[in-house]
Formats: sequence, structure tokens, C-alpha cells
Amino acid sequence: MVFTTIVNCVRARGPDEFWRKRRIFKLAAHYIGRRRNCYTVAIKIVHRALVYATKGRQLRKQDITELRNARIIAGCEQHGLNFNDLREGLLRCNIMLNRKTLADLAAWEPYSFKALTDIAKQKTKEDGFGSVKDLQAPVGVITRGMSK
Amino acid sequence: MTTNKSLFLIPKFITTPSQNGVGRYVCQLQRVVLKFCKNHGSSRGIREFIEYDLLNFANKNPEVVVYLKPRRHRGPVIKAEYLNGDDQIVFCHNNTREEIAKWLNLLRTQSGNHDGTRLRKLWHTDYPSIQGPWTPYTFRDPALNLAEFPNEELSRPLDQPKTATEELDELFKKQQESEVAESSEVK
Repeated sequence: MVFTTIVNCVRARGPDEFWRKRRIFKLAAHYIGRRRNCYTVAIKIVHRALVYATKGRQLRKQDITELRNARIIAGCEQHGLNFNDLREGLLRCNIMLNRKTLADLAAWEPYSFKALTDIAKQKTKEDGFGSVKDLQAPVGVITRGMSK
Repeated sequence: MTTNKSLFLIPKFITTPSQNGVGRYVCQLQRVVLKFCKNHGSSRGIREFIEYDLLNFANKNPEVVVYLKPRRHRGPVIKAEYLNGDDQIVFCHNNTREEIAKWLNLLRTQSGNHDGTRLRKLWHTDYPSIQGPWTPYTFRDPALNLAEFPNEELSRPLDQPKTATEELDELFKKQQESEVAESSEVK
């Protein structure tokens, strides 16, 4: 006898299971062993990898800002100036350079960066701000008192 | 704008084949093969392009060889081959004539097949520094080259203030010099 109704009681899984899992396996293609072939193992590791990727986007920005700050501070401390004084001096002279440009100049065009620190130093002397009070006036910055 | 959307885009820097365009410009597209069907509707756009725009394209770009391959019952395809050996295949199923013109323009102006790559930086320079990159010796006295170590003067910390003895020494020397100057004036 053939029981045809038994087949109707078989629960059918979703038709998209293959494609749903394929999405995960594509992201795990470069893993090793069961992590790459077994879904229950791969899903955990792929989720963690995606979380790391999300967090890493913030960390990358932080890292780059830290690197640029370090370069600018190293550059201006060599010339005897504070980072804050450099920023304030350049701002008051209307020289609006961002950290990226300042860091690139400090690393690749050191003489241009020195010129910027000289301008900021002159400004600190003329306006009377800044934490290093006994700065010598830099050579070669001629303002004729018109820098205000 | 390039994005890192897929984890498997190959990251690459911008390159130009032997500085193409700095002096003379050489079109990097070697040949283009337009495969299309004479009947099917998906090839309508490419057929219209062939009828109206192809001769213009071929005349404007004499360095590119254009092949036409009518293939019945097959979808329309543009295959581009570049001077560096790259292949690029574009499935232009149901594309309009304008879209195919745009694709061909892209293929003409590319230097190779960059599908599946992302650019790490949108700029490139062989000479990142004009003044010379910063070294620890950029702002140091060149007399350091001839200094012999251990050296008492150079080993002193930079922010060490003058000792009282040194200040007295200096005052004494100044006094002596002024006395000598006075006596020479008097004489």
C-alpha cells in the first residue's frame, strides 16, 4: 500500500536557506577548516568579524588623528613652541590649515613648517598670549606691527 | 567615490601605464568586440548604437579596432581588450543606445580592467617632498658631524638653567671687558 498523506505531514523548510547561508559563507571564504564550511561555526565568527569592522572604522579615524597630532607636536616642540600656541597663532593670522596639512608639512616640508612656527611665534609675542613667555622673536618675520 | 563595500575588493593604488598622458597620450584600449543578436529585443540598444553611433566612434578612435559579431539567440556582450592584456566583458542585455555609448566611452578611457578593485588613495606622487623629508638632522647644527663623544657641552640637557657659578663667571668677564674698554678710552 502507498500512503500518500504521510508526505504532506513532512515539514518543509524555507526555500531560501541555501542563499541565506551562502551570504555568510561568501564572507568566510578565507577562513580555515570548519569555520569556512560549517554554518553554525561560521556565523559566529563572521558576526564577530563584522563587529570588528564596524568598530575599526572609528579606531582608524582615532589612530590617524593621533598620528597627525604626534607629528605636529613633534615639529613645533623642536622649534620651541606649544601645539596650542601654534594653533592659536595661526588662527589669529587667518592661516586656517587643518591637522592633515600641518602634519604633512611637518613630515615632508620641514622648512615650510618652520616658517609657520615662526609666524605663530611672532604672533604670540605681539599679542602677548601663550604659555612660553620668554620666547625670542624669530628671525625673518617682518610684520611692521600690522599683524593685528 | 571608492568604498570598501565588499570584503573582497582588491585594494590597489592609482597607477598609470608608463606615465601615459604626461607626454603623449596613447589610448589603452586595443580592441572592442560587439556581440549581439540580430532579432532578439535585448540587443535592440546595441543594434541602434551600431546603426547610428558606431561609425562615429570608430572614426574618432582610429587606434581602437572594432569587431562586430552577430550571434543569434545569444545575449549582447561588449568585450574590451587592453594593451596590458586585460579583458573586460560587459553584459549589455536590455541596455539603451545611450547606455552602450557610455560604456564604450568608459572602456575607451580606462587603462585596464579595474573591476573588483578599490583605490586606497585617490592621488599618487613619485615626489612627496620638495624640500626633502624631515630627518633628525634637518634642524641640527652641522658641527655635530665633527663632534667627538663623550662631549660635555652636548650632553647637557637643553632646559637646564644656568648655574650660579656660571652666571657669576659671566658677570665677572663683562666687568673685566668694561674696565678694559674704559681704560683704553681714557688712554
